[in-house]
Amino acid sequence: MTMTKSRRRRITTIARYTILSVWAVIAFFPIYWMVSTSFKPSTQWFSWPPIYFPDPPTLSNYMNVWLGAEEYDQAQYAISSQKPLVSMWNSTVIATTSTFLSVLFGSILAYGVSRYRILSEARMFQLLMLRMIPPIVVVAPLSLYYSALGLLDTRTGLILVYFLTTLPYAVWMTKSFIDEVPREIEQAAEILGASRWRIVFEIVLPLIRSGLVATFLFILILTWSEYLLALIITKTQVSTLPIELSKYQGSTEGRVYGRQAALAVGITVPLMIVGLIIRKHLARGFSFGMVRR
Amino acid sequence: MTAVTLPTTGGSARISARIASRQRAIRRFKLALMTPLIVLFLGVLTPVLLLQLYFSFHEWTVYLGSWWDAEYVGFDMFASVFTDPRFGWAIVRSLAFATGSTIGCFLFGFLLAYLMYRPFRGHAIYYVIFILPMLTVPVVVAYTAEMLLYRNGPINDLISALTGVNFQVSWLTNPHLALATVALLEIWNWTPFSFIILLAGLAAIPKEPVEAAEILGASKWQVFWHVQLPLLRPVILLALILRFLEAMAEFPKTWALFQGGPGTATETLPIYIFITTWQYFQISKGAAMSYVVMVMMVGIVLLAIHMLRREKRSLDAMYGSAAAGGNAQ
Repeated sequence: MTMTKSRRRRITTIARYTILSVWAVIAFFPIYWMVSTSFKPSTQWFSWPPIYFPDPPTLSNYMNVWLGAEEYDQAQYAISSQKPLVSMWNSTVIATTSTFLSVLFGSILAYGVSRYRILSEARMFQLLMLRMIPPIVVVAPLSLYYSALGLLDTRTGLILVYFLTTLPYAVWMTKSFIDEVPREIEQAAEILGASRWRIVFEIVLPLIRSGLVATFLFILILTWSEYLLALIITKTQVSTLPIELSKYQGSTEGRVYGRQAALAVGITVPLMIVGLIIRKHLARGFSFGMVRR
Repeated sequence: MTAVTLPTTGGSARISARIASRQRAIRRFKLALMTPLIVLFLGVLTPVLLLQLYFSFHEWTVYLGSWWDAEYVGFDMFASVFTDPRFGWAIVRSLAFATGSTIGCFLFGFLLAYLMYRPFRGHAIYYVIFILPMLTVPVVVAYTAEMLLYRNGPINDLISALTGVNFQVSWLTNPHLALATVALLEIWNWTPFSFIILLAGLAAIPKEPVEAAEILGASKWQVFWHVQLPLLRPVILLALILRFLEAMAEFPKTWALFQGGPGTATETLPIYIFITTWQYFQISKGAAMSYVVMVMMVGIVLLAIHMLRREKRSLDAMYGSAAAGGNAQ
């Protein structure tokens, strides 16, 4: 066994690239399939043998789903009436508003925890319970409570409940940024006569601006893709994109793959863009102070 | 705002009065910071949990008039939950699903993180591809899976082409496979999560102990087993715990793809509670079930929090948390 060091290193390198590439294919293939199906004409959605490249690629699925271009062909009937665009608007309003509230109040709380210890470490972990207990256990009473308050099937209702469920993440994540701000700056500001609220809003929060943006986008990912609460709280007036997608399934026996895919691509692309922007911060969002650097 | 000037009543008295007023102001400020949390707890969470409790002890279905007139039935609802074999099976399925998918996510995530924690050419592109599944909406995962996994579908076709065997697995219709199919989807969907935090954990391991062990002649395996792994313990625990808890709550993929079927093959706890409440409209039974699950999950979460806090304390002791902004615990 006389293997030189450089040779062994080359074998390790090849093994590494092989394993990583295999996983890259596994990770990417379903996404590729979704995108390619969205460009396939209806005869190729569900065929034997499977068709891997749309031939010829068509935009008709997108036109049909997003623009309501009705095109009745063979067994498929158009179910689109521009509802996805309305849902896109709902999703945008609900996700951004609830996320904004969550980050705003979460960062204020986090400031209090970091500087005044308004929550002990034990309380901070208990706060996580809001996120760790399956939401299914409260959805039935929540929907009755909401119907009593007139919040069922409203944007406000969903915004409120998303605000509540994402608050723990917001507090934990913004706290990790606030902890990194040196306290000397605040002490200096206090000596110069700045009020406590001014210190929060004009010094600390602006200093962690990029952290707030990262937190915002991180939570946006969670609220954008939420399904269960939206399924319960929305009925006919308001629906979000994941709900809209699942309606396609119910009403057409799940055989309009191309249109589902065109809708799915529209839901997923914004999320992927957001996720890739904050890819460096994802670990912080998920690790609750357990990863030190 | 804090400097309340008081009438002069002698030096030291004035100072102590100032200190007292400052402390009052700080207390008011702290309370103001807490207000949103208190409002949410009292305004949303408390009434919801009280309603849940009410329904657990009063039999009501949507056909039975107004809910506030529902009949008090004591522990009957809980009795019917505990004698329901479907509920027992739902617990078993949930635990099996969560355990299996957690282990899967961990093993793949760890392997990838270990291969990637040192910089190499192509690191950035692999990282981007690896996190994409996590950025796919769960409902989209379910529907894309349906396009991929039918009997003559592309996945079976590709596996047949690669292995040369005529591979025809009924991923979606075989009741013995359905739960495993969801678990595989969960692993595909969330391996990026384990990967990301394990990668961050591996990259954050201080270099000195690893280098010291290498200088002392430790093999790669020994370094991994005796140096890196113990240092990584808190992160590993975090990856396992969070994934397990999220998997216990998994609903969108299972529901969108199977609605608990075929038969009851994918009827996990969230699915069974959903069916009981929203398809059988047995609100009270669903509420009692929810309470049982909630108590069970609170137990698991408290245990998890206990373990996480112990690890965090040992981390704080190791790194000295005073440096991190002064929130020493």
